[in-house]
Amino acid sequence: MRTLGLIRTATPPPARDLWPRLRARLRDGDRVHLRLPALGWREATAMAVALGTLAVVPNPVRFLIACGLL
Amino acid sequence: MARPRRRDLLAYLVGSGVAGTLLIGPYGLRFGVMQLLPGAAAVEPPFFLLPILWGLWNLVWARRQPAMSIGVWGALLGVAAGVAVNLLFVAQGRWFRAAMLLPLFLAPVYYLIWTLVLGPLNEALGVEHPPDPASLDSRVSRR
Repeated sequence: MRTLGLIRTATPPPARDLWPRLRARLRDGDRVHLRLPALGWREATAMAVALGTLAVVPNPVRFLIACGLL
Repeated sequence: MARPRRRDLLAYLVGSGVAGTLLIGPYGLRFGVMQLLPGAAAVEPPFFLLPILWGLWNLVWARRQPAMSIGVWGALLGVAAGVAVNLLFVAQGRWFRAAMLLPLFLAPVYYLIWTLVLGPLNEALGVEHPPDPASLDSRVSRR
């Protein structure tokens, strides 16, 4: 009896009203969680190479047009 | 009637959607650039094919799940696209020396876009395969 009492007091009481929780889950189901990766040395290097290339080419606008980015 | 898998279709749509959004550059900004620098748009790469190319590339990524990051996968597409545009310019007789740098430029640009945009979208929309429990176990046991 003592053990059972300890177990009962250790667990949180059950949620009586499940509707608010269900509604919250339905609301969350419509959300998309975007997790952006942390920027590291690879991304910094890529940025530097891209900007460096643009700085080197004689006509950056023509170059960007050739890339299909402009 | 063909019934593509939901994940494949989603992968294609994510890739083509992002590339289609990027087309604001050639479709919108180019008009302004041509007004300022009339001779700048002497070359015309088939940029309108980008959504199809990106969609298919993301579809292959979702199906094969190659052993590399999605950024590197995108960079490979950038190199391939740069080489293809060079060949196109040569065939058209419009090649210019700076075009040699296209693969070098497109690789990091594509790497960044695929890492920062395509990857998170793929993950959020369920295009990525869930991690293999066996590989997770092996990783944990290695530590």
